[in-house]
Amino acid sequence: MPSLGDQIRAHLPYQRRNAATLALLIFAMVLTLSAFAEVGLARDGHIPQGLFLYGGGLVVLAIGAFLAQARFAPYADPLLLPLAVGLNGLGLAMIYRLDLDTSNDRKIAEAAGKTFLKDAADASGQLMWTFIGIALFVVAVFIMRDTSDPDAKLSFTPKTAQRYTYLIGLGAIVLLLLPVVPGIGAEINGARVWINVAGFSVQPGEFAKLLLVVFFAGYLVNKRQAMSLIGKKIGPFSLPRGRDLGPILVIWFLCLGVLFMQKDLGTALLYFGLFVSMLYIATQRVSWVAIGLGLLAVGVTIATMLPFMGHVNQRIDIWRNPGPYFDGGCLVAGKVVPVNPDTDIFKRTKLVLQAKAEEYEKAGQKAKAANARLIGPGFYACTNTLKGEYSDSAQLMKGLFALGQGGVLGTGLGQGEPWRTPLSFSDFIFDSMGEELGLTGLMALLLCYALIVQRGMKTAVAARDPFLKLFAGGVSFVLGLQVFVIVGGVTRMIPLTGLTTPFLSQGGSSLMANWILIAILVRMSHDARKPAPQAIQDEGMTQIVSTR
Amino acid sequence: MNMDKPVRRVAIFGMLLFFALMAQINYVQGSQAEKLQTDKNNTRRFAEVFNSPRGEIIAANGEVLALSKPTGDDNPKYGRTYKDGPVFSPVTGYFNGGASKVELAYNSLLGGTDKRITHQRWFDTFIGKKAEGANVELALNPTAQRIAHRELKSSTSRRAGAAVIDVRTGAVVVLATSQDFDPNEVAPQTGSKGGTRLAQLDNAQGVIKPLIDNAMSQTFPPGSSFKIVATALGIEDLGLNASSTVDTSPLTLPESGQLLPNSHDGGSCAGRAPLSGAFAESCNTSFGRIALDLGIDKLSDGAKRFGFGEPVRLDQDIRVATSDVPKSIKDVASGKDIPTGKDGTARSGIGQENVRATPLQMAMVAAAVANKGKIMQPYLVQNVRAKDQSSLYEASPKLFSTAMKSDTASQIADMMREVVSKGTATNLQGHDIAGKTGTAEQGAGIPNARWFVGFGPSENPRYAFAVMTEGTGDGAHGAGPVAAAIMDQVLKK
Repeated sequence: MPSLGDQIRAHLPYQRRNAATLALLIFAMVLTLSAFAEVGLARDGHIPQGLFLYGGGLVVLAIGAFLAQARFAPYADPLLLPLAVGLNGLGLAMIYRLDLDTSNDRKIAEAAGKTFLKDAADASGQLMWTFIGIALFVVAVFIMRDTSDPDAKLSFTPKTAQRYTYLIGLGAIVLLLLPVVPGIGAEINGARVWINVAGFSVQPGEFAKLLLVVFFAGYLVNKRQAMSLIGKKIGPFSLPRGRDLGPILVIWFLCLGVLFMQKDLGTALLYFGLFVSMLYIATQRVSWVAIGLGLLAVGVTIATMLPFMGHVNQRIDIWRNPGPYFDGGCLVAGKVVPVNPDTDIFKRTKLVLQAKAEEYEKAGQKAKAANARLIGPGFYACTNTLKGEYSDSAQLMKGLFALGQGGVLGTGLGQGEPWRTPLSFSDFIFDSMGEELGLTGLMALLLCYALIVQRGMKTAVAARDPFLKLFAGGVSFVLGLQVFVIVGGVTRMIPLTGLTTPFLSQGGSSLMANWILIAILVRMSHDARKPAPQAIQDEGMTQIVSTR
Repeated sequence: MNMDKPVRRVAIFGMLLFFALMAQINYVQGSQAEKLQTDKNNTRRFAEVFNSPRGEIIAANGEVLALSKPTGDDNPKYGRTYKDGPVFSPVTGYFNGGASKVELAYNSLLGGTDKRITHQRWFDTFIGKKAEGANVELALNPTAQRIAHRELKSSTSRRAGAAVIDVRTGAVVVLATSQDFDPNEVAPQTGSKGGTRLAQLDNAQGVIKPLIDNAMSQTFPPGSSFKIVATALGIEDLGLNASSTVDTSPLTLPESGQLLPNSHDGGSCAGRAPLSGAFAESCNTSFGRIALDLGIDKLSDGAKRFGFGEPVRLDQDIRVATSDVPKSIKDVASGKDIPTGKDGTARSGIGQENVRATPLQMAMVAAAVANKGKIMQPYLVQNVRAKDQSSLYEASPKLFSTAMKSDTASQIADMMREVVSKGTATNLQGHDIAGKTGTAEQGAGIPNARWFVGFGPSENPRYAFAVMTEGTGDGAHGAGPVAAAIMDQVLKK
């Protein structure tokens, strides 16, 4: 019986679908530009200034991306590029909507002499990163171009990466470790996952994700036969030899260790899922998936018991019952005591802190006084008076309120109040979308993601090379899992952990990494969908097989 | 070993993840949306109301009393402006996200969220356009309300309130109070300053609480004005009539042996007089005796027919403070019920002891007299119109209760006319009104509650009124002139 891949390949058209790509791409551009226009009309009463400049820039870049794909990967899947452009464009429109610096009201107020802090949502920055991201896509597609010349300059296809498996694994670790290095690492919003490079904050973890997929794919392709065939059988489980599983476990534990140090639970969860799924694809052992999930359960249980990992426990508790934590809750002996500004204990503590600050001021200790004024009374009451663990569910709840506000049809772009949620432009952008586009819009967005993932998976099945199969499968799954972890988090399906929403969230690293990811999928889909080299009949038994 | 199968399984698992997300979002945005919108922590439900203009509150003559104006700011987008805020605040209430009175009771219509509006404008709702708030038209006579406010304020340094209702429909024409606040001070555009001001008003110490009006939200001992109720019960339950001879001599209270005094011992109050004379000159002892003859149960239950004992509700949800003739009161210290004894019953008959009434309640009592024994359900809002002038609500007069027989009512009406023609309120002659005075003691060192409760025009009455002012002296001089001034305006053609 022919394998599934053979069956799929038998049905592939082996046609260039560039016209379809172009048509879909134009649709994505129209969608983006309409979204921009709607934001401008609804929020400011006129079409945004510079819509045609920015929009024109975006069109030029997207056409460039299309031409690159048509030239260097002509058999590529027609859906991937338009889907990515559409998601990126909608995210950009939403960030523009949230960037109140661009709003009419703000400009009028500024002209009247009022001054404002710069809005955290940064539309022009995101636009720049979008340009860079799409440019990276073009460059990546060019570097990975399909060429018959084995020594072509600047040629590095996904298949080439297999040669550097261990180097790439090492690279992933280094990237993950960078934020912990003093001097270049930076902590933002409680997670130490950033580094400062030339004035920009970069999240190396986004790129490490891709490198890790390459490493797992390269390693597992070599060892998968040995791992699944040779091993000890313990009960229902058959365990591989230590020398086969060892290196991968070492790297994996290193990653998780680093991530736990950085308190980056979302990424840890993502890598864990990536590891288990790729292990399963390589070995087909369901029992190992079970072991992996068991290890996860043990890990989470231990994390909830460790005092310095208290926030894990809180995250789970907030997820189960966010109400009492709103604006500050205190977990004391398994029960949540609200310490929000409406409570008596908050008011009392506020007075105590004020008195303290004044005392310090009288004594001339300015630093201590400023400190006493900075402490949140809720936090102070919880940790000092109640001796509990402080946490705040306001952000999650506000995100859910945004979803509730949107309902089925949404308020319409520019007509809701998504700015009420903290981080509405990054971690919670999906809730912002939900408020203004409604359930209907979110379904469409999720379908876009699902299509990318499924197209990637189809590429994996249709791929001829086992390394590329694992690579494509891993890359697609990690994208889907990332969407699940962050969207599930902000919709209170699973405990909230910080991750970027691919293509939507504000942030350069995430955009660049995801555009490279799309470039890789485009290139691999080209490989899978192009006609197999035909045997030259006259040559008898000799066949020419492409290795690239 | 081929990897296609596991890849496909992982692909299916990935799809399941997306299905799970879709199911969760359907759950959150589909079925949980309303719960989330009304969550107690959701500040949007407060802010939302500032984002669209509220409907206007309009007086009976078309004068706009409250309207929304754009602030030119982002939050709040619309402010609220009240014309003569202090004068009309007992009816309009305030609005600052939270609200009171008509602003509260008609919030959904004013704010445009009411189903009557959204169903009519379903297409607007569908395309995300917010339905506009409807205009609420009051039955209030603004000129009379202004006079009432002015007169009440100058009549007292403490509390005073007045209510006038149309006896045939129950429409509230005047509802005024002396202690007032300006809803403009706490309107949305005032921001946090308004919030602080509201808290300050709310926490007001002492007897004068600006947010609690004296016309319907505060009760006072009705004193002799309660004799209207006692007389009605005496006629109906004891078989008396206007010419029945009653004992007006001093009454020794059965339990304590103290004397229940009359205000004067001459005229009708000298020993024996017809009931009408005792009523006109307000002889306490005769009504103490009527109350004793009735007993507290009949007195209290009979008063219920006039609206005592239960909180009266205006319109949809505006609660009037409960007027009561209690059969017993709860002692705060011991938590025990202390029944009203014989002495207390006698004093209840003259509107003292623990009898309490709002001016609006006493106006309802007078309305029963003026309207052949029938009290119409009082209401504030005449109709509600959407922005396109289509009617969304129209007040339809409803019977509140039948307090007494038509014959009883006409006998009492005659007695009330005598009060002005030859009784305690002769100082009000020349005004086309009839009524009953009341001067209730409120304890040592506290000024009297001075009442004048009645109706006008004197013949074929159309309006019933009750005025209460606190101060020294009696009802005829403390409250009568205020009532006369208000009614002169109300009755002006």
